[in-house]
Amino acid sequence: MADFETQIKESQAQVAAAQAKISTITETIEKARLKLDEGVSIDVENATLEDVHKHTDVMNGNIAELIMGLDDVTAAFSSEFDEMRSKTGWESFVGIFSEAKAESMRHERMRAATIDDKLQDLIAKSDVIVKLLQGQLEMLNVQKGKVEVNLAGTLTDREETVSALEAVRAEIAGMDPKIIELENKISVEQDAAARTKLETELANLNAKHNALVQDEQVKLARSQTLERYIEKGKTWVDSLTNQAATQLVLINKLQTDTKQRVVLYDALSSSLKTAEQQDVAHRINEIGVKTDQEAQAAMAGIGAATNAKMADMLEAHEGHMVFARKILEDKAKADERFARRFAAIVEKHDKNAYGE
Amino acid sequence: MGDEVKQTLVNDHAELYDPPVARRYFGKFEKIGGYLGKVAAEMETQGALTRTEARVLGGYVSGVIGTFRALSLKYLMTGKAEAAQRLTIDRHESGFPVAQELMVMALDAAQADKHLSGMASEAELKDRMIRTIVGELKIPAGLQFSLSQRLYFEALKAGGLFWARNDPVAQWIEQVGERRHYLVHWAVWDTAVNLPVVYLMDLEDSGKKPLPNDDYRWPPLQQKVLAQSVGGLKLLTIASGFDADFEDLHPKRLRRITLGPMYSASFTLQSGPISKVLEDAKAPEGQDWALVWTVEDLISEREEIVKEGWFSSRPKQIYKLDALTGADTGTTRLERMIILPERPYQVLVEQDPKGLRGIRKFIVGAGGRLIPGV
Repeated sequence: MADFETQIKESQAQVAAAQAKISTITETIEKARLKLDEGVSIDVENATLEDVHKHTDVMNGNIAELIMGLDDVTAAFSSEFDEMRSKTGWESFVGIFSEAKAESMRHERMRAATIDDKLQDLIAKSDVIVKLLQGQLEMLNVQKGKVEVNLAGTLTDREETVSALEAVRAEIAGMDPKIIELENKISVEQDAAARTKLETELANLNAKHNALVQDEQVKLARSQTLERYIEKGKTWVDSLTNQAATQLVLINKLQTDTKQRVVLYDALSSSLKTAEQQDVAHRINEIGVKTDQEAQAAMAGIGAATNAKMADMLEAHEGHMVFARKILEDKAKADERFARRFAAIVEKHDKNAYGE
Repeated sequence: MGDEVKQTLVNDHAELYDPPVARRYFGKFEKIGGYLGKVAAEMETQGALTRTEARVLGGYVSGVIGTFRALSLKYLMTGKAEAAQRLTIDRHESGFPVAQELMVMALDAAQADKHLSGMASEAELKDRMIRTIVGELKIPAGLQFSLSQRLYFEALKAGGLFWARNDPVAQWIEQVGERRHYLVHWAVWDTAVNLPVVYLMDLEDSGKKPLPNDDYRWPPLQQKVLAQSVGGLKLLTIASGFDADFEDLHPKRLRRITLGPMYSASFTLQSGPISKVLEDAKAPEGQDWALVWTVEDLISEREEIVKEGWFSSRPKQIYKLDALTGADTGTTRLERMIILPERPYQVLVEQDPKGLRGIRKFIVGAGGRLIPGV
């Protein structure tokens, strides 16, 4: 499956790119924090955030498609099963002369057939995707942790700034009555010397008042910047959480699917083998040397029994349905979440695969 | 194939997601594993197995124990660390991990070197754990998980495990006239019933070259016997197919030893008499299990020469089938054994259920001794 390989490579590159972008944003946020302390404000652009979102959407879409693409990998199984059940060109040719010989050739081929390698391949491929997703998930969690620590610090900072602002405001408010009192005194004072002294006092008080007002402005600005910063940080944490949830949904869906597929293909392969061979073996052993031609002729009829045997096997399992509730629920949930997030891709895939 | 089909196929599978439950499960198997070897030894003293066969079987049994140990390391941090995965077991008529676990383990083993080279050493991880515990006053779950994975990969590299597929090995036994007698043995983790299954085949070789050195016959033989190691196939089917495939190899005896299922009141869902026995025993933790062990045996009765095509003829084995049940089981003999602790055994004797009468019983007595039952 060269196609799968290229798709995997593509997705790996996209994941790497997405991780770089995500780290850059976290870094920018952290840098902004340092600059804030130096009094310089750096804005985390909305555009950059949107860029990352767009990129991760594409990436997740690709991975979702990769998961759907495993369907195509598994199509190889069907051909294997068909081969087990039908004759090859040479066998059909032999069948023109001797039906029994053709059947016995097919049986010999089936005895040697195994899908172990294909199953292992399926598990390996699905494992590659899971690792890819888990790597991304881990990275998202690390980033989230970093930003959260940073945010916690900033929140305390902001609280401090706000309380400092309140203190300045209180001080300013406390100064007002003094200034009014001084102004009143100046307006009634007759003595020039005393008046000058009062005027100097007033000037000093005014200077202090102005300084405080300026301080208030600075504090207010810092508080607002911190607030904006916190908003941005929160948005980023939300976005990281959301992305992590998406990864979990993908992992869940993939693991459930692979598990079920392996069991299904294995059951199919063994039931095909069992149904076709079992009765023949008994007959041949009983007939012994007389003529196993007769028994071989019976093989042809037994092929038809295969399907019935399949149905039996599946029915036998039905008795245990009670125990299945939990798994059923899990599966339904996984499917539903997957469908919700990737409706568009599923639709596209279905059209491609089944619309033709 | 609709979704319901897939659903019904996996509905016996259960994930162990609770940390104490997972630990108890592995603890139980570690104990049971020890008895498996003892049963093999018991069979040897009773003459059911030769020394060579007992040694071969012992090798597979210790492989199963090793596999459980490795899996126990892999899932050591289940439910405690974020990245930790969960073990899936088959809880109906098996009690063992599902075959897929073994397949994934094979995949892990192939990549063990890659993983180990990128991991911190055991000493370093432990050092960092202590720093976390003393310095940050936190449980170092992440580090513990890393260490458990490191130990898991090291166990995989150390080998001696039971894999999803254990390729055939031929052991020379003796010269029988013109023919060489080999014991060919292999084992698989059966995917349908999720149990370890060991195959022992006594084979007579009339070819020119000794079988294990014959590049024309040995590799296809390995591939073919593994492809036919399906639980649903009767021994007769496997043996006669093998006989037809190889003209100068004569399968004289084929045995299939199924190591399981394990029944436990707390882990598995069972039907039939054994469920009542386990329930009524109300045994304390660690005493509430029973392990069944099945030996299927098919012996060749005689050899006849059959005509093949116009000019050639070849020897063919005619197998002896049990007069009563042979048609159903496809074997000459089918023996089942059950190993269980004292408490459930008492209940079993009292109730004496019909279905369990013909089964040989082994009882785990005080001090872990294995006593053959009556």
